[in-house]
Amino acid sequence: MNVHQTSGAGRASEAAAVMARWLIGALFIYMGLKKAMHPVEFLKLVRQYDLVHAPFLLNAIAGGLPWFEAFCGILLLTGVAVRGTALTLVAMLVPFTWVVLQRALALQALRAIPFCAVKFDCGCGAGEVFICGKLAENGTLILLSIWLLISKFGRSFSLRPVLFPTAEG
Amino acid sequence: MPNLKCKIGGILAEAVVIAVIGFAAALTANEVSPRGLALNRNYFPAGTNAAPAVPKPAPVFQNVAGTNSSTTNVPSDADDLSERLRDKGLQEIKRPQLEKLFHDPRTQEGRVIFVDARDEEHYADGHIPGAYELDPYHPENQIGTVLPVCQAAEEVIVYCTGGECEDADTAAIILRDAGLSNKKIFVYGGGFTEWHDNHLPLEAGERNSGQKPK
Repeated sequence: MNVHQTSGAGRASEAAAVMARWLIGALFIYMGLKKAMHPVEFLKLVRQYDLVHAPFLLNAIAGGLPWFEAFCGILLLTGVAVRGTALTLVAMLVPFTWVVLQRALALQALRAIPFCAVKFDCGCGAGEVFICGKLAENGTLILLSIWLLISKFGRSFSLRPVLFPTAEG
Repeated sequence: MPNLKCKIGGILAEAVVIAVIGFAAALTANEVSPRGLALNRNYFPAGTNAAPAVPKPAPVFQNVAGTNSSTTNVPSDADDLSERLRDKGLQEIKRPQLEKLFHDPRTQEGRVIFVDARDEEHYADGHIPGAYELDPYHPENQIGTVLPVCQAAEEVIVYCTGGECEDADTAAIILRDAGLSNKKIFVYGGGFTEWHDNHLPLEAGERNSGQKPK
């Protein structure tokens, strides 16, 4: 335990950060493997975003991304390169949330329904979901990842929280 | 300040290492997985790699057991469907004609063939009686059986879930590319959902099992 964890508030923060790390890790493993087990379904969903047309790139994203998510989940769960993993998750979650939002807005305009009534399969691994719930979930994941990235908490029960010593100073 | 730069540099280096090792591991896992995608294969042939238009709101079909969740319950309208098939050089067949064909004696004689382009799980849950299975994402599993049967037939009807689902188009293109005459290939745009919703005959399990869906 580090010095900052010795106070009551520090211990509470540390416990909360570890729980957040485990929660995000478990969620990414679950969602990643769920998609990895049905790559064709995920391929069709990725294609619907109309961002990539080259077959190789489309297949690499649909075939690789779910396993990459699970890989990041394992790193967080076991506590390897916590800050680097948190940064990677933020780098994935922010653009992904943006494209989900754009698609939801397009669907809302087309169906002429309230924004929160928009429901579709965003390729997140949970099937069809209401957009407001999805955005709230992603927002929470982004905030928790940023917390793990910038704070020193959440390093207990970690195998190797820092790959390169300079990352923690 | 140099310490902060060092920290940021360290975190970025970690992220880069994770990205490189992670993607290498992910692509290897995809390669090793029996369900993995073949990276070099075009799963959406005939210029269909661009995504379909955002789904139209017309709730013509309802989601039912055995339909493909990824296609949602919002199919494109009939005009879009016809245009899509025309763009791919495919012919469409509507339900009334299909019902006639289904009851045509030629179907029993193997001169009219039905091909189900959904995956194994959905096929087993229920399909048009006598239909052959041809999963367009893993055609190597069934093409050896399906192609000779189709070549001997006069008309080949290919269907998937219906509406937005393009798997029937892809399966039809696979058959066409394998040498089957385009003149005898027809895509049933309404698909399994429309057939099911009209309480037409269904069969579960293997082909010609005679088993009723649950």
